[in-house]
Amino acid sequence: MAAFSYATATGPLGAEGPYWDALLDGHLKLPRCRGCGAWHWPAVWRCGECGSWDHEWVERALTGTVFSHTRTHHAFAGTEAFDRPFTTVLVSLTEVPIRLIGVLEGSEEGLRIGAEVEGRIDRTRFGTHDIPALRWRLVA
Amino acid sequence: MINPSGLTAVAGIGYRQYKRGTAPLPERGVLVSAIVDACNDAGFDPALIDGFVSYGDDKNEPVRLMPDLGMKHLNWSAQVWGGGGGGVAGAFGLASAAILTGQARAVVVFRALVEGNSGRLSTAVMAHHLNDHMVSAGMVAPAQLCAMRAQRLFEHHGVPTSVCEELVRASYHHGSRNPEAVAFGHEYDAAEARTSRWIAEPFRLFDCSRENDGAGALLLVSSELARDLRKPPVTLLSVAQGAERGWGDLLENDREDLYPTAGFGAIRQRLYDQAGLTPADIDVVQLYENFSAQGVASLIDHGFCTYENVTEVVRFENLIADGGRLPVNTSGGNFAHGFVHGIGCAIEAIRVLRGETANPVAGAKTCLLAGGPGSPTVSSAIFGIG
Ligand SMILES: [Zn+2]
Repeated sequence: MAAFSYATATGPLGAEGPYWDALLDGHLKLPRCRGCGAWHWPAVWRCGECGSWDHEWVERALTGTVFSHTRTHHAFAGTEAFDRPFTTVLVSLTEVPIRLIGVLEGSEEGLRIGAEVEGRIDRTRFGTHDIPALRWRLVA
Repeated sequence: MINPSGLTAVAGIGYRQYKRGTAPLPERGVLVSAIVDACNDAGFDPALIDGFVSYGDDKNEPVRLMPDLGMKHLNWSAQVWGGGGGGVAGAFGLASAAILTGQARAVVVFRALVEGNSGRLSTAVMAHHLNDHMVSAGMVAPAQLCAMRAQRLFEHHGVPTSVCEELVRASYHHGSRNPEAVAFGHEYDAAEARTSRWIAEPFRLFDCSRENDGAGALLLVSSELARDLRKPPVTLLSVAQGAERGWGDLLENDREDLYPTAGFGAIRQRLYDQAGLTPADIDVVQLYENFSAQGVASLIDHGFCTYENVTEVVRFENLIADGGRLPVNTSGGNFAHGFVHGIGCAIEAIRVLRGETANPVAGAKTCLLAGGPGSPTVSSAIFGIG
C-alpha cells in the first residue's frame, strides 16, 4: 500500500492519500482495483465489487467533458482565492468513468454540458493551506 | 413483521419561529417552550414524555430537557444521521419504532435552531460535505452544490427554469396569507425575484431558503393513546428513510441518472407501499425546499410528475390551496413561512390535516411530508386523518 504525506486543510483524509501526493508531484493518479479492475471514486479501502483491498494508482490524462457547471457570485467564506464571479465545472474524464471538479479558467465562450476541456494542476489558497487543485480550460 | 401504518399518531404540536438573531431565549429555552406548547395542544403532561428524536445534528441532548419538563424517565433518544434536513421525516420512523416495540410511550420529534447557540445552519450542514476536493474548486456551500445539480436538471434533462418560479410563487402566495410567516402580507413580486442577485447560477436569492431562529416539537404516541387526548389524532400512515447505490456524498460521482434528482427514488416505493397509497391519493404536500430546483426534483422523485410533464403539474394555479389539485407548502414552506431546518414542514403537515392552517385544503385526508432533498440520506412520510 502506498505511503502518503498529504495533510488535508479540511476534514479527515479518506482512502485517497495517494491522489493528493500524486497531484503534489504533478500527476493525476486514480485508483483501480487489482482484483476486478473496477475504478473507484471516491477512493475506497476495500472494493465493494470483489472484496479486494489491493488498488493500484494509475496515471490518467486531464481531459474530459463538462458534466455540469455553476458560476458563483455570492462571497461565500472560503472562496477568497477566486475573483468573483468564478465558474466551477464538474468534468467527466475521457479515459475513466470518474468525475473530477475544478475551477474553469480562460474563456467561458462555449461553456455547456458536453463541452471538451483539458486540465492542469495548480494550488488553491484556503486559509493557511495551499490545496492541490485542478483547473480546467475549454478546448477551442 | 408488523406494518406500522396508522398505529402511531401525532397528538400535539408546538412551533416557535423568530427572525434570525431575535429569539427571546437561548436555544434550549425556545425548544422547551415548543415542547410544552405541543403538550398543551395535546392535553398531555410534559412529565410523561419519555423519548426524543431529532435529526440534522441537533445540539440539544435529550437528557438536558428532563429538568424543565419534570420528566422522571428517559426511555428513548435517537437521531437520524446526516447534517441536512434529510432526516426530518425519518425522525418519525424512529419515534414510531420505539412506541410500537414498547420501548417508549410518548416521543417528541423536535428540531431547534438559534443562531447564537448553534451558528449558521448552512455552515453546519456544509461541515458534513466539506473536503479538500470541493474547497479547491471553490465549492463551500450547499447552494453551490445544489446549483450545479440544478444546472444539469435544466440544461441536460430539459426541465424549464420557469417551473421553479411557479413553485416559489405558490409558496409566497401561501406565506403572504399566513400571519406566522416571514412573507406575511407580502405578495410575490415576479420582477423582484427575477432581478434578485445571483447566488450561484442558476440560483438567484429567491431560489434559496433563508434561515430563521426557532424550534418545533411534535408529540408522537400510539394511535390508541392519541384518541384519548384533546386533538383529533393525525396518524403516521407511512415513513421511509435511506439511499441507494450510486447516491450520497460521492464527490459528485453519483450515478448519472440520479445526479439531478433529489434522491427520493430510493424510498418512494417503500413509502407508498407501506400506506397502500399512490401519488394520486395524496391531497396535499409539505415539501422541504432548500433551493427551488431541488423542490421541483423532489416532486418528480415522489411521482407527482416527470421530466416530460413537469410544466403541466408544477404550475402556480395547480399548487395553491385555493383550487389547486396538488397544493404544496400551505404555510409558505421554507421559502415564505420560515426555515427552522424544515421542522415547520412537519408542523404544517399536521395543521393542514386538522384544518388549522392559514391556507385550508378542503377535505384533505392525506399529506405527504417530503424531507430535505439531495441529502445523502433522505426520508419522507405520509400523514392521514379521519
Ligand atoms: Zn474489485
